[in-house]
Amino acid sequence: MDGQEKFNAIVAKYPHPTKIHSERPHLSRRTFFQLAGAGITASFLPAKLPASPLITTSGNVTTQNKAKNVIYILLAGAPSHTDTFDLKYISGTTPSTFNPTSINGVMWPMGIMPKLGGMMGDLAIVRSMQAWALVHQLGQTWVQIGRNPAAVLGNISPNIGSVVAIEKEPERTVGQVFPTFLALNSSSGAGPGYFAAEYAPFKVTPATTGLKNTTNSTGQARFSERYDFLHHIDDPLRVDSPLGKPAEDYDNFYQAAQGMMYNSAVNTAFSYSNADAARYGNTSFGNACLVAKQVLAANQGTRYIEITQGGWDMHQNIYQTAQLPTLAGLLDNGLSALISDLKASGAFAETLIVMQGEFGRTVGPLTGAKGRDHYPQQFVMFAGAGVQGGRAIGSTDSLGSATVDPGWSRARDVKPEDVEATIYSAMGIDWTTVRHDDPLGRGFYYVPNSDQDIYGPINELWPSPSASLSGT
Amino acid sequence: MRTNAFLLLICISGPCLAQPNYSECSFFGSQRETYARLALQAMGRKVPESTASALTRQVSSAISKAHRDDTPSFQTKPLPDTIDYFILNGLQAASVAPADKTDDYTFFRRVTLDLTGRIPTPTAVTAFVSDPTPNKRAIYIDSLLASPQWVDKWTMFYGDLLQNNATNTQIQRKNEGRNAFYKYIHDSLAANKPFNKMATELIAAQGQNSFDQTNGQLNYLVGGYVTGGPNQDIFDGQTAMIADQLLGMAHVNCLLCHNGAGHLTTLSLWGGQTTRTQAEQLSAFMAHTWVKEVKIVDPTNPTNNNLYYWSLAAYTTDYALNTTTGNRPARSPIGTIKTLTPIYLFNGGGVPSPGEDYRTALARYVTEDPQFARATVNYIWAHLFQVGIVDPPDQFDPMRLDPNNPPPAPWTLQPSNPALLASLTAHFIASGYDLKALMREITNSETYQLSSLYNGTWDPANQQLFGRKLIRRLWPEEIHDAVAQATGVVPSYNISGFSKDSTTPTVISPGFGNISFAMQFPDVTLVPDGGGVVSQFLDSFLRGDRDANPRKEEGSVLQALDLMNDNFIESRVKVTNVGGLSARNVGQQPAQAVDAMFMAVLSRHPTGDELTASVALLQSGNKGNNLEDLLWTLFNKVDFTFNY
Repeated sequence: MDGQEKFNAIVAKYPHPTKIHSERPHLSRRTFFQLAGAGITASFLPAKLPASPLITTSGNVTTQNKAKNVIYILLAGAPSHTDTFDLKYISGTTPSTFNPTSINGVMWPMGIMPKLGGMMGDLAIVRSMQAWALVHQLGQTWVQIGRNPAAVLGNISPNIGSVVAIEKEPERTVGQVFPTFLALNSSSGAGPGYFAAEYAPFKVTPATTGLKNTTNSTGQARFSERYDFLHHIDDPLRVDSPLGKPAEDYDNFYQAAQGMMYNSAVNTAFSYSNADAARYGNTSFGNACLVAKQVLAANQGTRYIEITQGGWDMHQNIYQTAQLPTLAGLLDNGLSALISDLKASGAFAETLIVMQGEFGRTVGPLTGAKGRDHYPQQFVMFAGAGVQGGRAIGSTDSLGSATVDPGWSRARDVKPEDVEATIYSAMGIDWTTVRHDDPLGRGFYYVPNSDQDIYGPINELWPSPSASLSGT
Repeated sequence: MRTNAFLLLICISGPCLAQPNYSECSFFGSQRETYARLALQAMGRKVPESTASALTRQVSSAISKAHRDDTPSFQTKPLPDTIDYFILNGLQAASVAPADKTDDYTFFRRVTLDLTGRIPTPTAVTAFVSDPTPNKRAIYIDSLLASPQWVDKWTMFYGDLLQNNATNTQIQRKNEGRNAFYKYIHDSLAANKPFNKMATELIAAQGQNSFDQTNGQLNYLVGGYVTGGPNQDIFDGQTAMIADQLLGMAHVNCLLCHNGAGHLTTLSLWGGQTTRTQAEQLSAFMAHTWVKEVKIVDPTNPTNNNLYYWSLAAYTTDYALNTTTGNRPARSPIGTIKTLTPIYLFNGGGVPSPGEDYRTALARYVTEDPQFARATVNYIWAHLFQVGIVDPPDQFDPMRLDPNNPPPAPWTLQPSNPALLASLTAHFIASGYDLKALMREITNSETYQLSSLYNGTWDPANQQLFGRKLIRRLWPEEIHDAVAQATGVVPSYNISGFSKDSTTPTVISPGFGNISFAMQFPDVTLVPDGGGVVSQFLDSFLRGDRDANPRKEEGSVLQALDLMNDNFIESRVKVTNVGGLSARNVGQQPAQAVDAMFMAVLSRHPTGDELTASVALLQSGNKGNNLEDLLWTLFNKVDFTFNY
């Protein structure tokens, strides 16, 4: 595997990310402070990042630019790939109830995920992905920020959703009040890193009653008076500073919060009926999928939604009905309803759905505890935004233990950094972008090592231009 | 050692990657921000401005407009071997001017919050600021240290550090175990137990019943349990926990998977030279400890397997190098060596005396190790100053601490003020490991009492010179308690699994009664109402779970929505609360009412502008409504939510 060997050699020589600090172009401290203002950002710190001189790209990539929105589903705990999206039927091990069925050449557990099986034509399953590490916390953060969290830059690196948020900021229109980056059932989701707080994931647990605390007990009119008085009396603490920048973040939070109050768009998008919840399977995952659909339909500025479904860490009794079969069923109900609804409204064609765990699970026979343990081989599923479904990209050996065919142009295992580049490309974001406004002064690369073209989007997900011209 | 300026893959290359199943390096998840700072320090590079520093800059400059009462600091030369002596030396060496001293109002509120988690009452504020006694600040500090609220606040602090919870990802202490551990921490602090004695009791705990409230320390090592692997994984987990929490050395966790060479080389001079075997020899002190589940039989339902407590029973075998599965890479014999006997890793080493219980020996070596005192001092300094003298406080590098024995270039000394840390450590040891004495020393210093306002241009790179007080957002528990106290509408929570006696069969575990103040909660999740509305209000301010998610100071839109609209605050501002703050001021003249409310909520008088605007508000329309609106405004002010 030539591509894999070359990649391994590069990574061995230059651990994440490739260039050492001292070799990178950087701004002098003085220039940095002049251009970008003082201090790194965390939650309460000044917001807007300056424009273009600090942002560079390679200038020679073409993005797919097919998606307006992204729904990123994290299957936390790490699902067993060989029991789900890279099904390997092992006689005597795999329960017959899984009903392994070949759909379009893709082996699929119809017995536990029948609805998604019926939608195979919409799904593209990448089976040649490998994780870098097998620790839950590390792995989950890694896939959300698209780089090694333990590396020096890992700390300040934003969630992929935050990068999308900052890139799509100029497209927000007056009157749009939803956060650009919404996180549902993702209370420990990765944050905005060094980006300002308005690009942080807005974390919500869906409820039938909608978004909590968006009305004041005194009513709208009196709340408005209170809010005006608050600014009258507290603006000296919020909007003035000897450095020339106000405590914008604190005030930004309040302004954003006020914008979400007494807003029918908020109520419509975030609340739902029991009937709708039932259609999505009556689960917290289903509710999140439902709210995601509604939020996108509201067209109120949200462009990236992260949903977490936990419970996949099945070290014991994985085939017990209450374990994998049940959880897969909940996933099946929720995701299939989401895809159906998005297709019905026409949003599917402009919404990229990405779904993965933080790694895979051991293959072959079960462990002594009748479960599966952590393992690097995994899958990532794509759908929507013009992705050509009904197939697997790449393939593994008969056990699912290693990639035998990478299935894409870089001819090696797919990594989280490639998934990251794919998302940016789909959204029309140049993944070779480097922002020189990072606090360490060494440049924040949207995709690590993009100047060396080590990682890149999986363009094979989309039909090639010649294919579409020929009408296939 | 700057062969490669980048942090190499830590704990995630080689054998670790190949393992199918291994433990949570929760260390990474919770330490992302701190990791960058560490690596940069190790390389001798400038450290970027911390959250606290930037935050301080933004908010405090604005607070200056409200009330400025500047007195220059360090007017008298500090005596040698004091905090101020070392800090002033550091500032002068760097040609950095310190901030001014705090005025009495600011100091009074700040130290009350920092030491007790509560805001002062208006009466106390007035008495203090008008008191002419020259050493009134020192007298007040003593009264805070002697208060029951001090015990509550530091029980919460040590509950966080020692990770006391009823349920974590690896094991369940259950409510009864969590309560027993809570009682142990609380009562130890209330007795001002020397901290080396506390650490000894935690490490060398003996007993058969983790629910026993006379032996709550048993629950410490129970919390270090690790599932899904051999016993050696448990010994390693407990060792990593002790090294992190009591020695400030989280790198031991890395070394229990692999040698430092190639992994810690750019992070820690000591770590890069230490081997896995050496770390495992430290872990070998735990090898005789068996965290044993003891089933409780439910007479009404004998098949119920969910009732149990823990005992610390005894194994007789030593740390064996014979594992192939589990959470860490395989442990294999080294030549003919098949088991490891305990050898302490620091401070010149040490082994158990003949016949000595292993954990008793470990407790002895840990508490005699100056690093124990150093780490304890630094953790508390980091809390009171928002950044440690060594920061992050769990990343100590033993080879970079001594100014008389500095590390080779390009490594630099790790503490931002090595002489200060050494002095604080020596004082702490000499005091008998007295936590109150340490806090007395710190809060009485002019350094602690510096203003958070800064004259001139503040360079964030100077944050560890401590020439300016960095501000912090209040804990959710502090916000809850300040709202309750200021409004006078104090809740009473019957906390499930805590307030009432345990109903688990055959278990005698007395309850703690109804609880009014959040700083008295025994836990940070699900309390006080099982995840209900008050829990959610507190959770939005990020109190964490004492497991993979640490407490955080970040803000959010949800916090703004909660401060503006949550019923916890809304219900308390109403004049219908008989005897509450707003109701009490219905009959007052507007100026008096305004002053009373500012004093109750913000512990200060209104400025001229604030008074004018607030009086105008009260005079226009329904007085009751206006009082409620003013009170609402005060709880949403920047100088309520922050300790400046």
